[in-house]
Amino acid sequence: MSAFTQWFNERTPGLGAVYKKHMTEYYAPKNFNVMYYFGSLALLVLVNQIVTGIFLTMFYTPSAAGAFDSVQYIMRDVDWGWLVRYMHTTGASMFFIVIYLHMFRGLMYGSYKKPRELVWLLGMLIFLALMAEAFMGYVLPWGNMSFWGAKVIITLFSAVPWIGDTLVSWIMGTVGAAGLYVPGDATLNRFFALHVVALPLVLLLLVVLHLGALHEVGSNNPDGVEIKQHKGPNGHPLDGIPFHPYYTLKDLVGVGVFLIICAIIIFFAPTVGGFFIEHDNAIPANDLVTPATIKPVWYFSPFYAILRMIPSKGLGVLALIASILVLFLVPWLDRGKVKSIRYRGLGYKVALAIFAAVFFLLGCIGADLTPGWITAVFGPNADITSIENLFGRILVILYFAFFAFLWVYTFFGLERTKPVPERVTTHA
Amino acid sequence: MADESINKGRRRFLTASTAVIGAGGLALTALPFVKTWLPSARAEAAGAPVKVDVSKLERGQRLRVGWQKKPVDIVNRSADQLKWLKAQDPRLRDPDSREPQQPKYCQNTYRAIRKEWLVFIDICTHLGCVPDFYGEVKPEPFDPQWKGGYYCPCHHSRYDLSARVYQGVPAPLNMVVMPYHWVDDTHILIGVDPPAGSPQLKGPLEGPLKGATA
Amino acid sequence: MRDMTLRASVRTLSALLLALAVAFAASPSAFAEEGGYPDANINVHDQASLQRGARLFMNYCVGCHSLKYMRYSQMAAGLGLTEQQVMDNLDFTGAKFQDAIVSAMPEADAEKWFGKAPPDLSLEIQARGADWVAAYLKAFYLDPSTSSGWNNTVFPNVAMPFPLWQLQGEQVAVMNPPEDGQPGTVKGLKLAHPGSMTPAQYDEAVRDITAFLAYVSSPDELVRSHIGAWVVLYLVLFTLFALVLKLEYWKDVH
Repeated sequence: MSAFTQWFNERTPGLGAVYKKHMTEYYAPKNFNVMYYFGSLALLVLVNQIVTGIFLTMFYTPSAAGAFDSVQYIMRDVDWGWLVRYMHTTGASMFFIVIYLHMFRGLMYGSYKKPRELVWLLGMLIFLALMAEAFMGYVLPWGNMSFWGAKVIITLFSAVPWIGDTLVSWIMGTVGAAGLYVPGDATLNRFFALHVVALPLVLLLLVVLHLGALHEVGSNNPDGVEIKQHKGPNGHPLDGIPFHPYYTLKDLVGVGVFLIICAIIIFFAPTVGGFFIEHDNAIPANDLVTPATIKPVWYFSPFYAILRMIPSKGLGVLALIASILVLFLVPWLDRGKVKSIRYRGLGYKVALAIFAAVFFLLGCIGADLTPGWITAVFGPNADITSIENLFGRILVILYFAFFAFLWVYTFFGLERTKPVPERVTTHA
Repeated sequence: MADESINKGRRRFLTASTAVIGAGGLALTALPFVKTWLPSARAEAAGAPVKVDVSKLERGQRLRVGWQKKPVDIVNRSADQLKWLKAQDPRLRDPDSREPQQPKYCQNTYRAIRKEWLVFIDICTHLGCVPDFYGEVKPEPFDPQWKGGYYCPCHHSRYDLSARVYQGVPAPLNMVVMPYHWVDDTHILIGVDPPAGSPQLKGPLEGPLKGATA
Repeated sequence: MRDMTLRASVRTLSALLLALAVAFAASPSAFAEEGGYPDANINVHDQASLQRGARLFMNYCVGCHSLKYMRYSQMAAGLGLTEQQVMDNLDFTGAKFQDAIVSAMPEADAEKWFGKAPPDLSLEIQARGADWVAAYLKAFYLDPSTSSGWNNTVFPNVAMPFPLWQLQGEQVAVMNPPEDGQPGTVKGLKLAHPGSMTPAQYDEAVRDITAFLAYVSSPDELVRSHIGAWVVLYLVLFTLFALVLKLEYWKDVH
């Protein structure tokens, strides 16, 4: 121990213990595979969003009259402003890619199962906060898609019985005749405050709790076995290795590869063909001209498709909410004792594969990619709306069917599992 | 787990080199963020030189223009106004402009490139007020011997028509003459020194400006 | 044991490389703009083309359309021109070098003449795509039924008269025969009176204007691609070092 470390530790008796607990003496299973990179990558993106966000805040003007201009000011007049903004926009989309893969990992290896239900719940809360954060951030540039996106999404709240209208007016801070509300300065200002101060604080707190909860119970792994059940003479799990240096170094490689992907996007295709930055947002907010198709950014499109496929406003909103809330229930819907997909029944493997495909296809519908496909398959005169609705509604049913199946399959003992090994398999 | 032969030297070397490369990358990444604080193109534009057409300005009159958000006054001094300047010297704090409140080429009685033309920033050196123009040579309530100049209504500092500060007032220094030059006989470019080798660097020139450099 | 770790790393890398390929495929070229306009075939890295485009824009467009997010000074840097060259050849509005490129036409007049103010074109390519703009500039034809005397197949009933008619010449519409009492639709366009340019020259001119507007839409693109290659190169180097270091430490893990 160097003299400095010792000097420091003497003055912060608690800190060294914390570092040990979470780094050098946090024993993680040694068989993590590629799906286990996304937790640390999510943390990296969070840091990126906070740092680039702080710098954007220095130049951004939160007013309906000045917001759009100030974004162009950042892009053109501020030295390197374009880089900071592209890091932020790319970071936003990469955040969701990473989080979706992280959640899918949880589904693959049963990371939500006892004793990790709380880890999953806290993770879901992070996901909710992130959706709110991303939505409000998307409104800030005050382009035409920002404006109409805000208008449409906030108007969803009018589906709330009795107080719906008042609620919409309260969220927007504007007055509307006959229940027609238009977002304005007040909306932009409160979203700005929430986006740059309130929600980041919430996110940070939740991330600390998520990691704290995880480190109490220990990490799951691709075999879904509890490594704490086999400890060596020194009291450490036989199949565990200290997080530092082994996983810090492994994650460093993941970070390198991830940053290569991010850099290619930031420097060579920052709009990603209109997916990361939408074309219609290059037009200033205009309450008289609707974009050709109002669609959310790609990461919301699966949920947006669920909303659109239900032919009833109230039910559509309910389905949208349910599609997110049902994910909270997964730890209790899944009664299976086997965690990892490696040893679970064929039914689960097929169901999860279908679920992933359904989520992807719903995303395509929500992102408005399907009309092109439909005309390609069914000819130029095809009735796009009814074909899209037919397939879309099947997909919505399949989305919810996954969760129903999960409960039936496990509750009634229909699953034929394979024997789970005692120790992790290092066929890594 | 630690067994056989851990090559400590190799590990140290690899750790150090990866750390150095990583730290280098982080430092290079920080650079653009630091640079965002430099004056933006908008700030540069706001601080850009200002070209002023003075062909309409009569003798004895003054014109005010904005430059870098500061009031710049241009006075076309009449012969009557000019003739009293030298005589003010005994009453002034810094009659020879020894304090660096002007470019070298304006360090003279007229504090100007062309004798008639006073060009300066009308901000009082006391507390930053904007003194008023009292151009006429006539007794004023604040000075019975007034020979034209600037008077600050806030704290009563007085300056002559070369923007030189009088004795016995709160202001310590002459007002600032910023860099400028004559682009041609009727245009002044505020904010830029005369080009190298220009006769304007010698100042003060009298009469119409010959051989002005664009 | 050692080669197992290696194999895992290779698998890890190949999975992430797949993601990389996906990111590549997602580049703008992979997603053709909707509407099926022919490829505008522009190159914003061709400085001569940008300069010709800027000259055309300043001669024919800036009378009505501003580029309010672009300064003359910034344009000079992007186009490789000196202050003198820009002020002498491209600044016709009397604006300062550091000023934004703003049309001299008062907005009130514009509204009176055209019914609505001509839009600012700073972000036109980001909003509509280069292909649309190029197609639009080639799609004007004479139509006595409109107030300007011009119409456009890409943007029907557009308020804008055709400013480049002396260059392209005058096109007229070839109509489909009327059907069921409905007036016929436009089948195609035909050059009735040639302009000062041949069709091939005019195509080049449109390419230049479009390239210039694409540059104005995202001036950062000229800087980005230069730096990007170095950043990626650095990151590859860093990742290789990190990988070797990781493999060294993971020799401990059995």
